[in-house]
Amino acid sequence: MNYRITKGLDLKIAGAAEDNPLPLMPSAHVYVRPSDFRWLTPKLLVQQGDVMQVGTPLFCDKKDERVVFVSPVEGRVEEVVRGEKRVIEAITITCEKDAATEKTVDFEEPLDAESTRKLLLTYGLWPCLRQRPFSVIPSPEAQPKALFIPCFDSHPLAPDFNILLRGKEDQFLYGLKMLQRAAGDVPTHLCVREGAENQLFEKAENVQKHYFSGPHPVGNVGTHIHLIAPLDKDETVWYADPQDIARIGEFFLHHRLCFQKMAALTGSAVKRAGSFSTIYGADLSSLLVDNLTQENVRIISGNVLRGNALKQYLTLGFYDRQITVIPEGGKREILGWLLPGLKKWSLSRTFLAWLTPKRIYEVNTSLHGGRRAVMMTDVYDKVFPFDLMPLQLLKACEIKDIEQMEALGIYEVDSEDFALCELVCPSKKDWQRIVEEALFEL
Amino acid sequence: MNYNALFDAIDTFFRTPATVTDSRCHVRDAVDMKRIMITVMIALAPALLFGWWNVGYQHFLAAGESVTFWSCFFYGFLKWLPLVIVTYVSGLAVEVLFAQIRKEEVAEGFFVTGFLIPMIMPPDVPLWIVAVATVFAVLFGKEVFGGTGYNFLNPALLARAFVFFAYPSVISGDKVWVSHAPDAVSGATPLAIAMNGHPEAIPSTWELFVGTIPGCIGETCKIAILLGAAILLLTKVADWRIMIPVFVGGYVTAIICRLTGFCPIAAYDQLLMGGFMFGAVFMATDPVTAAHTRVGKYVYGLLIGILAILIRTLNKGYPEGMMLAILLMNIFAPLIDWCVVQRHIRRRKRRVT
Repeated sequence: MNYRITKGLDLKIAGAAEDNPLPLMPSAHVYVRPSDFRWLTPKLLVQQGDVMQVGTPLFCDKKDERVVFVSPVEGRVEEVVRGEKRVIEAITITCEKDAATEKTVDFEEPLDAESTRKLLLTYGLWPCLRQRPFSVIPSPEAQPKALFIPCFDSHPLAPDFNILLRGKEDQFLYGLKMLQRAAGDVPTHLCVREGAENQLFEKAENVQKHYFSGPHPVGNVGTHIHLIAPLDKDETVWYADPQDIARIGEFFLHHRLCFQKMAALTGSAVKRAGSFSTIYGADLSSLLVDNLTQENVRIISGNVLRGNALKQYLTLGFYDRQITVIPEGGKREILGWLLPGLKKWSLSRTFLAWLTPKRIYEVNTSLHGGRRAVMMTDVYDKVFPFDLMPLQLLKACEIKDIEQMEALGIYEVDSEDFALCELVCPSKKDWQRIVEEALFEL
Repeated sequence: MNYNALFDAIDTFFRTPATVTDSRCHVRDAVDMKRIMITVMIALAPALLFGWWNVGYQHFLAAGESVTFWSCFFYGFLKWLPLVIVTYVSGLAVEVLFAQIRKEEVAEGFFVTGFLIPMIMPPDVPLWIVAVATVFAVLFGKEVFGGTGYNFLNPALLARAFVFFAYPSVISGDKVWVSHAPDAVSGATPLAIAMNGHPEAIPSTWELFVGTIPGCIGETCKIAILLGAAILLLTKVADWRIMIPVFVGGYVTAIICRLTGFCPIAAYDQLLMGGFMFGAVFMATDPVTAAHTRVGKYVYGLLIGILAILIRTLNKGYPEGMMLAILLMNIFAPLIDWCVVQRHIRRRKRRVT
């Protein structure tokens, strides 16, 4: 099936990654952060000084102890960093120079859903899966309605999946097969961009292929689910990143457990953008040495629309495939609201920059204004491709009116689907946080 | 920085705030409410500039004097200046006070409201009445409901309605629309002339369009208002989903009124008379007090147009139907939205089952 969306926008910003591999020094430290997983309450399974192999459980989900999170490297637990209220911020693992980053494991080929799930759980691969609604790791017993594989990323400066999956074709296809086995007999929807190079995804069998075109958020899994098989209350679908599927494929095909991942370094504040290969949790500082155009930058794991600012630990988030570095904003302009604004990006046409539609913008982290009550009622509709009422839904979320949220279709969306609403909001609301908090109430 | 609302307002007025994003979305659109409000003010500028000139022109015309363009212009400017100062001082005092009490920043909404109020007043309105009306509108139209963004009535129109009902003599009748008109000269607006049973005495369509007629400061020149409309629509600050339906609703109703014999005035003249155009372009499109849903906006706009012409033609006592139509629809906008949202919810339920 072909789907075309018209609402949305592609933010054209500087700093795209080319197909240019960047060298990365092996890291002496690996930081595993439970905060990578939404709403997870971890239960610690290791102590300081414990010796780790690849695949040794570090912590598990307190609500379901079968869901374990494992060490991505060989090494020793150096420290369990705790923050406020003793929340585990990170588990620091030190590793030797030649520490193993993969491990061969023995098991019998699983033939049914239950044994496949069990293997995924035991070796810490289960967290590769996430479910909608709520974008959390699914329960090991859950029966999804469908499986969604978003095979492109439409976020600003997003890397090309063909580069990320290079050399992992067989693994991807095998992983997909095993994932289908784990999910049970449910429809699998492979969502690819129309007109893009999709040879790898075309090879997938026993799946439904859907072709999407249009502006961002055309690549978001929420958009795909909404258009293909909308969710209702008490229904769930699973989704997974193709790289994680390749990881699962590698595990079942070659019996090799490995948390290696390809990602892109992007953004206007880096001198050389490109792709790199890293182990989950590995320190990425060496990527940025002599590679920044200025001192005051924000390093984001993810993209500019939804990502986490990295402060203490310079690592790639578990589900991220991109590091974006942009200049910090906050420069005060004299009478800024009066200037013509030839270089200012805005969806509105109140700055003269709209006369140059092909401009590539250098954006920074300025909020560009004060926080206000919602006044402009039409801006969200322009960037929200769902058949839902964004303003009304957001307002219901803000006051946590659960009944109204459900009536307006909260189960079909997640915070990431409102990233563009947050971007264009003239009242400078943090809509993604508001939606996430509202979802937590359900 | 919230300890001093006034300081903060002045500070961010001169320099953009230094705030940076601290949420999941790390970059933001460069637009903010200040920029939107200044765009509205730019759109209002042509109507205001013409208004200055026209106030002087009408005055000297009535006095029988022939003076230069600049004399007219400055006469009007000097009439307008005290009005706008009084409006801003009284309105901003209330705004700042409430911002301070609520520990919020001063919202920019009043910049436009304060700009609009003098433009929809007759030139000679006493300043104290303007001050009282402004304070009333800001206090009871906006602040008691939570401030800009939470109000359901257009504050500028509320100020005018307040004057209209509390001090009718300064804003209705034949004498108030020309500044310091000699007693012998009738300064009635074309609308009043027409509604009082003298449709033959109204000025030509061209005069109505250009605006060399008595009336409120900002409402007479339709060319300037259309220019403003173009700016608002081009910058996408105002929603065409409201503006166009107002004209459609008004025009169709005016045609029906003419055909049924209620009103002998041509439909296009109806649209050019009084505050219809000014209201359609600058008042009805206020996003806060209008309907918030896309479908609701069409309904809201259409009903404003229809009601404005109906009030005008069916009730001779209230020739300025636009103000009342917009205020009435402000009150009904949440109901319209409610119906649209319920319809959406019902449609979603059907999809589920």
